[in-house]
Amino acid sequence: MSLPGLGLAEMRRSVGGWWDSDLAYRFRRSPVAILAALVGLALLVAALGAPVLAPYDAFDPAAANAADARLPPGSAGMFGDPYLLGTDPQGRDMLSAMLYGLRTSLVVGLASVAAAAVAGVLLGLVAGYFGGVLDAVIMRAADVQLSFPAILIALLIDGVTRTAMPRELHQELAVPILIAAIAASFWVQYARTVRGLVLVERSREYVLAAKVTGVSTWRILASHILPNVLGPVLVIATINLALAILTESTLSFLGVGLPPTQPSLGSLVRIGNEFVFSGDWWISVLPGLLLVLLSLSVNIFGDWLRDALNPKLAS
Amino acid sequence: MTALLSVQGLRVEIAARHRVLTAIDDVSFDIAEGEILGVVGESGAGKSVTGTAVLGLLERPAYQAGGRIIFAGRRIDTLDEDAMRTLRSRQIAAVFQDPLTSLDPLMTIGDQLVETMQTHLDLARAAALARAEQLLAEVGIPAPRERLQSYPHEMSGGMRQRVVLALAFCCEPRLIIADEPTTALDVSIQAQILDLLRRMCRERGTAVMLVTHDMGVIAEASDRVAVMYAGRLVEIGPTRDLIAAAAHPYTRGLMASIPDMHRRAAELTQIPGSMPRPDAPVPGCAFHPRCPQALARCATDRPAMLPQGASQVACWLVDAASRSAA
Amino acid sequence: MSFVLARLGQTVLVLLVAAFVSFSLFRYVGDPVNNMVGQSASLADREAMRTALGLDDAFVVQFTRFVGNALAGDFGISYRFGQPVATLIGERFPATLELALISMLIATGLGVPLGVWTALHRDHWLSQMLLAASLIGVALPTFLIGIALILFFSVWLGWLPSFGRGEVVRLGWWSTGLLSASGLRALVLPSVTLGVFQLALIMRLARAEMLEVMRTDFIRFARARGLRPRAIQYRHALRNTLVPVVTMIGLQFGNVFAFSIIVETVFQWPGLGLLVIQAIQFADVPLLAAYLVLIALCFAVINLAVDLAYVAIDPRVRAGGGVRRAT
Repeated sequence: MSLPGLGLAEMRRSVGGWWDSDLAYRFRRSPVAILAALVGLALLVAALGAPVLAPYDAFDPAAANAADARLPPGSAGMFGDPYLLGTDPQGRDMLSAMLYGLRTSLVVGLASVAAAAVAGVLLGLVAGYFGGVLDAVIMRAADVQLSFPAILIALLIDGVTRTAMPRELHQELAVPILIAAIAASFWVQYARTVRGLVLVERSREYVLAAKVTGVSTWRILASHILPNVLGPVLVIATINLALAILTESTLSFLGVGLPPTQPSLGSLVRIGNEFVFSGDWWISVLPGLLLVLLSLSVNIFGDWLRDALNPKLAS
Repeated sequence: MTALLSVQGLRVEIAARHRVLTAIDDVSFDIAEGEILGVVGESGAGKSVTGTAVLGLLERPAYQAGGRIIFAGRRIDTLDEDAMRTLRSRQIAAVFQDPLTSLDPLMTIGDQLVETMQTHLDLARAAALARAEQLLAEVGIPAPRERLQSYPHEMSGGMRQRVVLALAFCCEPRLIIADEPTTALDVSIQAQILDLLRRMCRERGTAVMLVTHDMGVIAEASDRVAVMYAGRLVEIGPTRDLIAAAAHPYTRGLMASIPDMHRRAAELTQIPGSMPRPDAPVPGCAFHPRCPQALARCATDRPAMLPQGASQVACWLVDAASRSAA
Repeated sequence: MSFVLARLGQTVLVLLVAAFVSFSLFRYVGDPVNNMVGQSASLADREAMRTALGLDDAFVVQFTRFVGNALAGDFGISYRFGQPVATLIGERFPATLELALISMLIATGLGVPLGVWTALHRDHWLSQMLLAASLIGVALPTFLIGIALILFFSVWLGWLPSFGRGEVVRLGWWSTGLLSASGLRALVLPSVTLGVFQLALIMRLARAEMLEVMRTDFIRFARARGLRPRAIQYRHALRNTLVPVVTMIGLQFGNVFAFSIIVETVFQWPGLGLLVIQAIQFADVPLLAAYLVLIALCFAVINLAVDLAYVAIDPRVRAGGGVRRAT
């Protein structure tokens, strides 16, 4: 779809507008928000830099030594290799596995939030701007879906594709399927919010004026209405990022998300789960703690952003 | 005769994020037993805040920063919350602006009346119910016995404001703070409610502080008028005198907005400009930027309240006039 | 009443969609004949089977038959367990329901009072602590809570069992873990795990609603009437707070059902959740199809019950106004 003159300038201006407003001031005044942002940023850097930062290649079977399996944190391996955070049942370095797992979790989380936001915003724009039957159908579907928990929908979508596809094909497509499943369970909130905002904006004078002067519908949507809905969408996206990451790791923990060849934090916890009983706690607890750190920092930052940008969104 | 309510030098401040704003600045007035005092001004002038302060219901971030409130010879602004609470309904009752939101939506009006009476009066439930029915009849609600079982949403706005009046009168208070009691109602019902309030007060000898921005209401119902502007009192006196010959230019502007037989004018639109907000106070007389007759000193010195006939007024024009007369 | 009728219509729609997805799975995923008679059957046998199953009938006929069977509780035979799906579900259902009920009891019993208390004592240090704790509670993944509890209370302290239901007592077709000491002990960790998130959520919601109600005009007017603080807080504010909170709690019940999948996996709790995870992992189509319909039915029942509860609590809805506060 072509969006003529996407209104990038307007978008940039409105983004810059928030930053210059007292958002930056509030940010400086909130140590909790600063801390959450710093932790989140550090985790993002660690995840993106995993190939460089990780002491071992988590995907290279040669780097794992079965003789070094399940060593506690701080041990040295058979050949004197240091394992800062211990090793997993395959003798893989925990720190490296966690860094790669963090990367997978973040990528899936960000991608599914982006997909959900794009789909939700588009559906919301369409429903709000055109109204009528289209609006009724989209919003009814949203109503129905909203009465089911997101994780169940993602689980069922993933489960249905898994049963419908040959096993190998599903393994290959596991990441995009998972992203689609999570995105499909989170689009409703964007659609509802955007639709509400569009209904307000649609009747504003500048939109009416643009309509009268014969500006095309998509141009009005893209250059007049879209910039105004970006703020709330950003807030929802931040809060949903934490939810999406948790959903991904939960599905992977349940063994229905990502295959073992592509470990995320959730699947690492799953691998370690059976060794909890023998006291080898670090194999599941350490990736779990990293996940909590990620989820908390994103959640707290999202919470702050919501309050700072628009107290009315608090519900 | 001593006043029933005496507000002396009341000052209310609001703690904002970086500084303290002044909402009410040195306001003093009395209300006599059985008297209806109209308090008038534009929205934001501090009328409602004054009423709230008398009820002892100021809430954070607003607080009383100075002055005294004396009721029936007893200082009440220093009472603790529980002592103040027992005065409400029993001595000082309230009627709020919006009858649609004043009543608990989940409780029958009978229960709300009984609950109020049983809190303050030593009444058994049966006696309280009987009294509630009698009150509903008195405020003009048809089939009062059945209506006791009604929920607020089952009644119209006018009917609900009658219920609110019944609630205000149910413990026979000596003073009622009526904050814009008719503003939210249909014009046709406003007069009925105002009439009902005035009649019930006259019968019982109840005094009223009638807060409103509608000069028509003041002209119809009040004995005396207090005019507020930007948190200060600018003029107070008998209604008749103020209508006939107001001393303060602002009051004169207000009086011009009283509807007469032929037109119902938009309220308070005659004076150009707008009232200063608490976050941008004006030195001297707060009205001077809008005042057609402002003197040089109006911009720098604040006028004090001085007697002028049966009224009191805070205006340098009046001061100058009385001096040259003397 | 039109309000209730509209909700009923929506409910039927949801059920039909679920049945349709479920039927499509059943009919078009893999070859049902292969799954039932095995690879070695002759072509004639297969044809006979196809006809016997009615797979050659028109789509509408097949779908109607599927719905009819589903209504009768017949979802066929599980590929993996070789037992009728209905029997399997009947066996597992009590375990999940008991787990869900107990955890919801914990979450509601603590969440509502804590939410109300923190709203009434906003500046108290304990209130601030509880609020921070609830934020963590919302952000923690359920499976990690379960693992942490197992590590502490089962592995390190050895106080409580970490898997299974313990000893169950049979009451007709229902099996309960509530009547034996080991059954109750086995319930503690799973129900707490399942309840933590809901507890945090309910507490935050109850607090937010209570604060909102305390700001309303009728509370101000109640204060102006000189009512006692307790009467204002509990008789007026709390009752008005409870209307949306009860709605929320009812809807959360559905979430508890979904999250029980996670808890059952962590604690090897022999309920529906564990069953459905196994069904997904082994592509057990009849089981998955039945679960889809069942979960849709559960949500439909819950939504309907919440609506009816709403009608019962709020006189405004009872009058047919259909005033529905968004949550």
